[in-house]
Amino acid sequence: MSIMGDDLINFSSVLKMSYNFLAGREFLKRKKFREKKKLISVSLPFSDLAYAAGAIPVFPIRMQIFDINRYLIAMNSATSFFGWSTVVKFLGFVKQFDTMKIADNIIGEVIKSLNIKYNEMYDLGVENGISSDFCYGIKALFGMHVTKGKNVDASLNFTIRCSAYNKYLESLKVFVPNQIWVETPPRDIGNAVEIVQGNILNAISELENITGNIVTDNSLKKQFRFRNQIIRYYKTILYEISDSDFYPCNPATFAEILSLLSISFQDYNSDVMRYLDNISQLVKEMRERIRKGIGMDVSKMPKIFFTPMFGGWEPKIHEFIYEFGGRALYADWDVMGFLQEIDISNDPIEGYARSLLYTATRGFGCDNNILTDSYLKIAKKLKADGIVFNQLFGCHSITNCYSMLKEKTRRFEIPTTVINFNKIGENVEQVKTRLGAFMEMFK
Amino acid sequence: MDDLELLTDYSDYLRKKKEEGKKIVAFMAHDNVPEELIDAVGFVPLRMIFAGNDNLMNESQSLNYLPASTCSFAQTCIGLFSLKPNVYKFLDMVDYFIVSNHCISDICTSEIITKYFFIPRLNCYSSYTQSENALKYFKLELLDFKKQLEIVSGKEISNEKIIESIKKYNLLKSKLVEVNDLIINGKEKLKIFQKAILYGPDSLSELENIIEKYKNQGSQKNHNSKDLLFTGCSIFIGDYLIDLIEDGGGNIVFFDTWIGWNYFSQYIEDIDINSNKEPLDLLVLRFKNNIYGDHTIPNFLENKIAYIKQYIDDYKQETGKKLGVINHIIKFCDHISIFQSILKKKLQEKEIQVLNLERDYSKATRGQLSTRIEAFLEMM
Repeated sequence: MSIMGDDLINFSSVLKMSYNFLAGREFLKRKKFREKKKLISVSLPFSDLAYAAGAIPVFPIRMQIFDINRYLIAMNSATSFFGWSTVVKFLGFVKQFDTMKIADNIIGEVIKSLNIKYNEMYDLGVENGISSDFCYGIKALFGMHVTKGKNVDASLNFTIRCSAYNKYLESLKVFVPNQIWVETPPRDIGNAVEIVQGNILNAISELENITGNIVTDNSLKKQFRFRNQIIRYYKTILYEISDSDFYPCNPATFAEILSLLSISFQDYNSDVMRYLDNISQLVKEMRERIRKGIGMDVSKMPKIFFTPMFGGWEPKIHEFIYEFGGRALYADWDVMGFLQEIDISNDPIEGYARSLLYTATRGFGCDNNILTDSYLKIAKKLKADGIVFNQLFGCHSITNCYSMLKEKTRRFEIPTTVINFNKIGENVEQVKTRLGAFMEMFK
Repeated sequence: MDDLELLTDYSDYLRKKKEEGKKIVAFMAHDNVPEELIDAVGFVPLRMIFAGNDNLMNESQSLNYLPASTCSFAQTCIGLFSLKPNVYKFLDMVDYFIVSNHCISDICTSEIITKYFFIPRLNCYSSYTQSENALKYFKLELLDFKKQLEIVSGKEISNEKIIESIKKYNLLKSKLVEVNDLIINGKEKLKIFQKAILYGPDSLSELENIIEKYKNQGSQKNHNSKDLLFTGCSIFIGDYLIDLIEDGGGNIVFFDTWIGWNYFSQYIEDIDINSNKEPLDLLVLRFKNNIYGDHTIPNFLENKIAYIKQYIDDYKQETGKKLGVINHIIKFCDHISIFQSILKKKLQEKEIQVLNLERDYSKATRGQLSTRIEAFLEMM
C-alpha cells in the first residue's frame, strides 16, 4: 500500500480521474467501434483541435491494458448502480476494517501499474529500434505506438524546439501513416502569428477530412472555453491550494494528484467535459476538506519544486521529499507555457496561434536562457523554497540547462539540486540519499 | 596536405581577412544558414567543421555546461572555444557566433559559446517543415538575419551583392560536383571538400587546378578496395575515421553527408537566378529544395532512403560494382541516431548492406571501430 492510498480513497474525483485514465482502452474501443469516432494520437497538451473536430484525442499509453482492470471494471459496475460517491464512501468504510485488500489494491495498483506500464513501453521502444541514447519520454512514447499505433486514425503532431521529439514524431509514420502537423516557429518575429494561424487552419482541414465534421469558430471557442476552465482549476490547485498551510491530504498525496493531472492533461482522458467535471470537483473536494480541517498542517514543510517530470521521472520522489519533511510540487505545464488561457474574445484561431507561440517562445523558449527563466518564474510563482532539477539521461532539450539554471537560482538564493533519471526504479537509493542531503538544508 | 598544415594555413588566411577589416562569423556546420548573406555584407563565414579529438570533447564534459549525453560534435565545439589548442587559435578571431536551430544541440551549444566565451550572438533559425507557411517563416528569419548583419556592419546589403554571392557559392558548389565525379580515393576527396567548405569561393582557383590535375592523371583509385557510400554524420577535420575505413580496405565513393553532397547539391539553378526573383526568395527556394537535409521533417527519412537506393542502383549500372553503406552516427545525435534502425532495416529490405557505425570521439573506441569496419568490408 502506498502512503497515498489512505488519502486518495477519500477523493472521489481522483478515483474517477484515475479510473478514466486507466480504463481508457474500453472507453476508446466503445468510441471507435460503436460511436464510429476517430482516434487521434496526441502527446504534450495539444489535444484541443482534435476535440474541436469531434475526434477523440488519446495519449497513447491509455490504449494499453493495465493490470488492474479487473478491479476497475468491478468498481465501474458498482458506480453505475450506486454512483461514485456511494462507492467511494463504501471503499472508505471497507478500509476501516482492513479485512479486505480491495481498496488498497485499487489505489496501490493505479499508481504502480501506470509506472510499470511506462517502463514496459520504454522497453518496447528500445526493442523496436529506438536507440537507448534517447530520453525516457521518447522511448516510452515510441513504445506506446508500437503495439497500439495501428488503432489510431491519425497522429496530431506539433513541432517543438526539441529535435529528438520532432524526429520521433516523424518516426511514428511507421505505425501511424496519417500525420497531421502543426508547425510552431521558434521565434515570434514578423507575422509569425499569421503563419501559425495558417498552420492551424491546415490542420483543421485535415481533421475535418478525417472526421467528416466541420470545425466552426463556435466549436473551437467551445473547446477553448473548456480548456480555459480546466486551466483555471489547475492553477487554483497549483497556486492557491498548494500555497496554503493546510493541505487537504498529506503532501505526498497532493503531489500524486499533481502528477495525475500532469499526465492526464495531455488528452483530458479523452473526454474534455468529463475531465472538466472531475477537476472542478477535485477543487471543490480539496476546499471542502480544508474547510473541515481534514488533511495535514504543512506550514513547516518546505515547498520543493520538482521539475521537469513530463519526460520521465522517478515517481518515488514525492514520497522521499515527504519523508524528509518537505512537500513536492509539479508544475511542468506552466513552465512550458501550456497553462496560458486562450483568448477567445475574437478569432479563436488567432487566440490559439498566440497561445502556441507563447509556448514556443516564452515557455519552452527558443533557447536555454528563456527556458531557464521559465523554470525560475514558476519557482517564484509557487513560492518554492527549493528546486530539485530532474536531469534526464539522453535529454538534449529541456533538462540540459542545469548549469545555467543554477547560476540564476544562486542570484535569487533558491537552493537547488540536480538528480539524474534514466528509468523508473533505477538508482532509487542514490536519489534518496541525494534528496536527503538536500532536504537537510531546510532543517 | 594534412590537417595541421590546413589549419595553419587557414589561420593565416583568416588573419589576412581580419587585416582587411573583415569580421569573422562562425556557426556550427549545418545547412540552412545562408553563408551568402554573410559574404554579401563583406564578412567571412566560418563553419565549425573541426571535431574528432577526444580532449576537446572531454574538456566540454569537464566544464559541465551540458550533460555528458550531448553529441560529441557539440561537445567538441565547446571544447574548442575553451581549450583553444594552438592550431585552433584562429577561433580568437571570431567576431560573431550564430545561434541556429539545426538541432537542439546546435541551439544550446551555440548559446553557450556566445554566453560563456563572450562572443556576440546573431540569430538565424529555420523552419522545421517545408510547407508553404514554413517557407514564409524562413523568409522572415532571412530578413531578420539580414537586418542583424546590416546593423553590426553598419551597411546595407544590396540585392546585387546577394546575387553576386549566390553566384560565387553556386560556382564553388558546381566545382565540388566535378570533384565528386573524379575517380580518386575517398580520403583525398574528403580533404578537398573540407578545405573548400572552409575557404569558400576563395578556393575556386585551387579547385580548378585540382580538377584539371586529376582529369589529366586519370583514375587514382585503388581498384581492390570495397566501394562505400557514406551517410549520416559528417567526418570533420581532425577525425581519424576516414583512415580506419581506408586502412580496412574501404573506399568512400560518395559522401552523402553535410561535408559532401548535402552541401554542394544545394545550388540555385541559373534559371531561378535569372528569373528576377528577390534574392532572399532564391535562398527560400533552396531551403525548399533541400529535401535530403536532416533538419527538416516529416519526409527526411523516406527521401533519404529513396536517394540512397537510386544512387546505389545507378552506381551498379555504371560500374557493375555494388556499394555498401556506412551510416555514421555520432553518439547522441538526435537526427541521425533516431532513424538508425529504421534506415538500416529499410535499406536491407532493398538488399543493400549497411553498417550503423555509432561512436563518440574517444580514442578508446578506435580498435573496436576498426574491427567493425573490417568485418563489414569482409562481409561485402
